[in-house]
Amino acid sequence: MLTVSVKWQKKVLEKVEVDTTQPPYVFKCQLFDLTGVPPERQKIMVKGGLLKDDADWTAIGVKQGQRLMMMGTADEIVKAPEKGPVFVEDLPEEEQVAAVGHTAGLLNLGNTCYMNSTVQCLHSVPELKSALLKYPSERRNEVDQTSHMLTAATRELFNELDKSVKAVAPMQFWMVLRKKYPQFGQMHNGYFMQQDAEECWTQLLYTLSQSLRGSSSGTSENADALKDVFGIELLSRVHCQESGEESSETESVYSLKCHISHEVNHMHEGLKHGLKSELEKASPALGRSAIFLKESRINALPRYLTVQFVRFFWKRESNQKAKILRKVDYPLELDVYDLCSEDLRKKLEAPRKLLRDEEGKKLGLKGKEKADSKDTDVKMTDAEGSSTASGESSKAATLSDGAPSDKEAQLTGVYELVSVLTHKGRSADSGHYVAWVKQENGKWIEFDDDSPIPQREEDIVKLSGGGDWHMAYICMYKARTVPM
Amino acid sequence: MTPEPNGASGSGTTREEATVKVPAKDPKKKDEKKDDDLSDEDLALKQQLELYVERVQDADPGLQKAALESMRQEIRTSTSSMTSVPKPLKFLRPHYGTLKAYYETMGDSDLKKYLADILSVLALTMSAEGERESLKYRLLGSEGDIGSWGHEYVRNLAGEIAQEYAKRQSEEAGIDDLMELVQQIVAFHMKHNAEPEAVDLLMEVEDLDLLIEHVDNTNFKRTCLYLTSAAKYLPGPDDLLVLDIAYMIDIKFEEYANALQIALYLDNLQYVKQVFTACDDVLRKKQFCYILGRQGITFELDEEMCADDEERYAMQDIINNAKLSEGYLALARDIEVMEAKSPEDIYKAHLLDGRASAGASVDSARQNLAATFVNAFVNAGFGQDKLMTVPSDAATGGSSGNWLFKNKEHGKASAAASLGMILLWDVDSGLAQIDKYFHSNDNYVIAGALLGVGIVNCSVKNDCDPALALLADYVDKEDPFIRIGAIMGLGVAYAGAQNEQIRGKLMPILSDSKTPLDVVAFTAISLGLIYVGSCNEEVAQAIIFALMDRSEAELQDPLTKFLPLGLGLLYLGKQESVEATAEVSKTFNEKIRKYCDMTLLSCAYAGTGNVLKVQNLLGNCAQHLEKGENYQGPAVLGIAMVSMAEELGLDMAIRTLEHLLQYGEQNIRRSVPLALALLCISNPKVNVMDTLSRLSHDTDSEVASAAIISLGLIGAGTNNARIAGMLRNLSSYYYKDATLLFCVRLAQGLVHLGKGLLTLNPYHSDRFLLSPVALAGLVTFLHACLEMKAMVLGRYHIVLYFLVLAMQPRMLMTVDENLKPLSVPVRVGQAVDVVGQAGRPKTITGFQTHSTPVLLAAGDRAELATEKYIPLSPILEGFVILKENPDYQEES
Repeated sequence: MLTVSVKWQKKVLEKVEVDTTQPPYVFKCQLFDLTGVPPERQKIMVKGGLLKDDADWTAIGVKQGQRLMMMGTADEIVKAPEKGPVFVEDLPEEEQVAAVGHTAGLLNLGNTCYMNSTVQCLHSVPELKSALLKYPSERRNEVDQTSHMLTAATRELFNELDKSVKAVAPMQFWMVLRKKYPQFGQMHNGYFMQQDAEECWTQLLYTLSQSLRGSSSGTSENADALKDVFGIELLSRVHCQESGEESSETESVYSLKCHISHEVNHMHEGLKHGLKSELEKASPALGRSAIFLKESRINALPRYLTVQFVRFFWKRESNQKAKILRKVDYPLELDVYDLCSEDLRKKLEAPRKLLRDEEGKKLGLKGKEKADSKDTDVKMTDAEGSSTASGESSKAATLSDGAPSDKEAQLTGVYELVSVLTHKGRSADSGHYVAWVKQENGKWIEFDDDSPIPQREEDIVKLSGGGDWHMAYICMYKARTVPM
Repeated sequence: MTPEPNGASGSGTTREEATVKVPAKDPKKKDEKKDDDLSDEDLALKQQLELYVERVQDADPGLQKAALESMRQEIRTSTSSMTSVPKPLKFLRPHYGTLKAYYETMGDSDLKKYLADILSVLALTMSAEGERESLKYRLLGSEGDIGSWGHEYVRNLAGEIAQEYAKRQSEEAGIDDLMELVQQIVAFHMKHNAEPEAVDLLMEVEDLDLLIEHVDNTNFKRTCLYLTSAAKYLPGPDDLLVLDIAYMIDIKFEEYANALQIALYLDNLQYVKQVFTACDDVLRKKQFCYILGRQGITFELDEEMCADDEERYAMQDIINNAKLSEGYLALARDIEVMEAKSPEDIYKAHLLDGRASAGASVDSARQNLAATFVNAFVNAGFGQDKLMTVPSDAATGGSSGNWLFKNKEHGKASAAASLGMILLWDVDSGLAQIDKYFHSNDNYVIAGALLGVGIVNCSVKNDCDPALALLADYVDKEDPFIRIGAIMGLGVAYAGAQNEQIRGKLMPILSDSKTPLDVVAFTAISLGLIYVGSCNEEVAQAIIFALMDRSEAELQDPLTKFLPLGLGLLYLGKQESVEATAEVSKTFNEKIRKYCDMTLLSCAYAGTGNVLKVQNLLGNCAQHLEKGENYQGPAVLGIAMVSMAEELGLDMAIRTLEHLLQYGEQNIRRSVPLALALLCISNPKVNVMDTLSRLSHDTDSEVASAAIISLGLIGAGTNNARIAGMLRNLSSYYYKDATLLFCVRLAQGLVHLGKGLLTLNPYHSDRFLLSPVALAGLVTFLHACLEMKAMVLGRYHIVLYFLVLAMQPRMLMTVDENLKPLSVPVRVGQAVDVVGQAGRPKTITGFQTHSTPVLLAAGDRAELATEKYIPLSPILEGFVILKENPDYQEES
């Protein structure tokens, strides 16, 4: 009887007997006993050929002691998973958006970067999107034709942005915008002129708030959808130093102004400035017009706080909106507590404590220290502010009491930056506007018209001005809330 | 000012007195001042010599003889040092003409010969350029010991002989008298450490055979070194002759390892056999086997070469690289890089600012394919990775089956084949792991498994021929992709093997008119690889016919370009042998004719450094292309292929390519990065790196993608931090462009090839030997890159696996007499060129001492730092057997 050695994986099976009178299948069964590899999965290699089950041993010419090689495993055979993976390349275009990680850019239709950047910033507000979705396609009576068209066009554009991977051309939207606000259709040398993005922003938001008011079939709380999202309620004390007259008024605005003067280095200072103003009006006590000092405090906070840097002023000599290039820093996290009225502060106290605790927990000891120092900060400003604000506290309290307190998420007065609209250039009607938007996944994207470019967070705060680089014009902050 | 001696001799042959005085006095007047500067000693010497000159012309033979003897004495004693013209020669200069004239008047006698000797020496400084008087008088002279006149004299004489020889050759005059002199001069040179001079002279007079008589134990090494280095710069067939001589000298002095390398350089298996039969030391023969294994040629030992069966099997195993995997893993363990790396470890996205990693929640087939290749390259040969070999029962969902199916269609083929790369050289476990894919019902997976089998067996041979056994049946299957997998697998596994059986399997595919074009293309390449550099007529015929059968439309297909390449590979490095085939190629359809021409030319002269061919190729690059022509790509690659042979030509080629980049047309610019990659493969030169980095941002995306892949190739297996950084930045720069990002990923994988333990350089053994198989693999891949869109970026990314042919560990592994790893201290440093230098100069500089196994970078050389062992190979690369030094004494 012949014996051969069979090499299988790293093992060598020595002295396997071969009965040359039997077909090789018998030999394979022998090997099955030794290795556990079923005969049909054995591949036995003899000098450049495979051993067939029904081959003739003599024809193969196996010699005594020859070394054969066997391949085969008893392993499970790989099977394709029932559900194959989905590849980006196979997806229809709209579904590729999610994979890219950010939404599409907007094509520049000729000096429309002011509009594009505005749309991109607003597009990042999910609340606005959902409000638009509820907006009916038929015009309601209280909304005029052009406003309706603009609102509908905005909705369509937002939809398109969400679906598309490639840059979108906002043709329809632009036409309607020009129709509604003919000032955006100004021509110069046969081209549409560059416009002020802030104007576009304000007008658009105004129109939207008008047409979305009460649109969602009359439910009371959603009566003014956008006011909830963007509206800031200001409580102002108007005081005349000459006569000692004092009155207070409330107003609702969509953005806080950050005034830039020589002392202002930080947004916070600018905001404080913006809340104080002097105005001349008729004083009943004096019987003539007198200088009144108006000091405002925030009485109700929105979910999205818009801060506009007052960078442009009308320069008579050059007949254009000139720009203040001064560097004004702004934080990634904004705390407006000290700009709030007493009542609002009281209301904020509990959620803020909760937020601090949470943060402290997250950061451990280090976080605690930070929170402590912030605490003292607040106290100091508190002391400052209390003397001026104490007068109208009772009135404010009644006002804010009406605010719904049954919401789950409570505002804390702490905001984080979500989008920045920047301008580069020397006047509002020239240069270039760009939107920098934080995506849901926390990444920042620079929407420079049709090309979205990822950016680092630390580069976002560098857009604070002081040179000819892009500088923040409008910042939008999203409220940090705590569930209560 | 010295007077013209010849002028004086012409006028006064009769009046001796006058002739003596006129030239003698003239300079005296002018040299009055000079004479004043002379020291007393010099003045005495001068007067003495003048006296001799007069005496020589005396009538009395006795006096003449005495004068000549004295003169000779003076000259000889002074010529020993050669910093300036020796004093006696200087003082005799004015009398040269006199003596010459007198010589003519003398009757034949011993004295006349004596005078001729002296004239011959004087001619050293006096003779006008081209007169060769030194030689003339030497031949007339007494034929005494040539060396007694000093080294400079001999050198001068050698120079004149060379000139005279050339002249006589053209006149077809006899050269016997010259050859006699040559004999003497060579003997003198060889005795006096001037081997290069001797070799130079013999090359001039075309009689190198003489050398063998004159080499001895002390000088044969330097002689051979000079011969082998000179061979690179000689035109054919002189270079072969020179190497032949070097081989014979090495054999004569039993320096078999060197002889073997020359034999391999000549690609002369007869010589290889001779080395084996001549050597009777088993251990040394084993070392030869390691050298053969590295060269990657198929060689069968027979009983004549090694009588003992057991030993012969062991040696055949070494040639077959059966233990390559083991050695490689030993190296990896020693360097502690065994842990598998995932593609993310290579991308190092965390070092980038948020850019690159934006999004990607859905799998991208492109990026997964890139990850597959990166994973394969990085973990090549380690037998473990984090995607393919993780146990399939792992509940994490990262099992091999799952990763495989995270690739799309043909991507699955590459993924299955990547398992072969991970288990490279480890045939036993490789086949066992690939086996499971054979039973898949997905054709792409089967194709990949077939290719994987081929890759595992690449450069490893096995008695059972598992690759052939497994793949043969699939070659004729229905599905074209399965066929391609099997065919390419065979090509990779049997590259250079010239296996008849496979030829029989593959040739019919070419002639079958029903075969799809892609199958034909891969068949041609596989045949080219299997018969690389063999000039096999039948294969060439088959490919030529296949090429002629293509329709006009098919000739436009990028895949068709593989046919001329397959043909070219048959003649890789075989120079003139290609001519017949090149002639045939002129009859091809004009669409492919020029392309074929360039490919054949560049392949045939690859690695020869032939300057004329480089010029020819450059000339073709300067043409303006007619529409539809595309032959300049292979021409540019050809420049690199031809000139990669030696450092000087290589540097020149790099500069030339820079010019092409500036002045060439777009299609040339696209191939320049690839040519640069070939020139600096696995050897990232800073200037090339900068050029490629610049090109990687080119506005033309094809230039950019070629440059990116080339960056990977020049850094292949080096872990070069600078290239890695560049690529990382490119990955963020191109994060949006899926194609270029794919290229960047591939390049990143290449840079970390085998975690930095592998090289793609086809040159080894101190850059002396070129592995044809490795070069063929590289060239095939680069040609595929010329058609980047269709190949690497299209359906046929499996061409990336051709690189496996060039993969070799860049290590020095020392083993003891039982072939077990042995750790010894070695010095590793920058190699220094010591060719033709006197004494025993240091061969490395800036070295560090490590203990083996060690990695060798490009341009590194190692030497043992201990006397305890003697290496059996003169070049410390790859596997080196160490023998204990019997004379070693432990220092205490």
